Amino acid sequence: MAKTVPFKLITPTAIAFEGEAELVIAVGTEGEEGILPSHAPFLTALRPGILRANVVENGTGKRLELATNEGFMQALPDGVTVLVDEALGRDDIDVSKARQDLTDARERQSSLAPQTPEYEREQAAIDYANARLTLAS
Amino acid sequence: MPSVRDLRDRIKSLRNTQQITKAMKQVAGAKIRRAEAARKQAGPYAEAIFAMLKDLMDAVGAVDHPFLRPGKEGAPKGVILMTADKGLAGAFNANIVRAGDQFARDGASVVWYAVGNKARNAARRMSQETVYETALGAGTKLEVAKEVAAHVTDAFTAGQIGEIVLVSSRLVSMLTQRPEVRTLVPVAAEKAQAEPGPRALVEFAPSPEAVLTRLLPKYLEFTIFYAMLETEAAFFAAQLIAMTNATDNAGKLIDDLTLAMNKARQAAITKEMLEIVGGAEALSG
Repeated sequence: MAKTVPFKLITPTAIAFEGEAELVIAVGTEGEEGILPSHAPFLTALRPGILRANVVENGTGKRLELATNEGFMQALPDGVTVLVDEALGRDDIDVSKARQDLTDARERQSSLAPQTPEYEREQAAIDYANARLTLAS
Repeated sequence: MPSVRDLRDRIKSLRNTQQITKAMKQVAGAKIRRAEAARKQAGPYAEAIFAMLKDLMDAVGAVDHPFLRPGKEGAPKGVILMTADKGLAGAFNANIVRAGDQFARDGASVVWYAVGNKARNAARRMSQETVYETALGAGTKLEVAKEVAAHVTDAFTAGQIGEIVLVSSRLVSMLTQRPEVRTLVPVAAEKAQAEPGPRALVEFAPSPEAVLTRLLPKYLEFTIFYAMLETEAAFFAAQLIAMTNATDNAGKLIDDLTLAMNKARQAAITKEMLEIVGGAEALSG
């Protein structure tokens, strides 16, 4: 049994990570999903949150933690692919912007009716801002 | 016949123009490299999202999602008209606008969603209604794409528009840019009937339908984003060509005018000499 699985983290503007991973945990719509090597073929949508992965770089294990926006995760026999709108490492996060995004989204959401697409959109923005703030703190 | 001084002034002003076009050519050349790099970087995402969509379609067969059904009958078509923000790129923007206009003439009523300042101006000139306008360079492209996608999605689900059509530019090669009209929603049925591959046995959480509900809007969003990248790259390519031509033409004009100026100067000298010789002969005679 393979101990690692090829792992790719792709955003529309770059490949945020490409390498081998022992474990990938992302926040799915149904809660956290962890993928180990040899996982059955699997596809899920991701909510904004913190993606964690144990990756192997140059033979040594490393913990990868990124705040990710909405996206998808697919596990196939040939690897795990995560597609997200944006993925930020701890050092890339602009805390003041995240705070501002959080306040703005909360304000916009307060005037919307729950269960509407607009409401959900703002909720995603709130979740993403929270994920960034959590990771940065 | 223009005087030597007139010609000299014209050459001077042409030189200035040539300098500007040359500078713009260099700027476009640098920017096209950046735009192309951005488009290339979006490539892996494009591949992955297409593959996921295909896997999903294969796995679920017939799905009930608004994006896969024909839109409300009789509703106007929502056309996203995408151009650059600026001109000075030959017929680049005009070609896109013409393609959009042609589409509007052929079909039923149309509602414009203008992306890019030139598209906005054109949509305002055309008779139909414009419901949404944004500049291509407003905020980051991903944000703009998200906003545009959100607008058309809401209008489509609310039945205000019956189809989502995108008019943007394709960068066929550095020398050719072609406007293209694509129907984005309803998503083409042929995709749904793709033959099931070996990857079709996939587990979905929570369900294929639920994932598809999220994947389709994302797919639309990304398609718009990618089209924006391509339109921008095509714009700089068109500008590069236009400015190269302008620089060459200015050079040719300068050559012609320089020749005319030299002739005029020589004619003036000859005339003066003839006058002197004539005067001397008259005195000696």
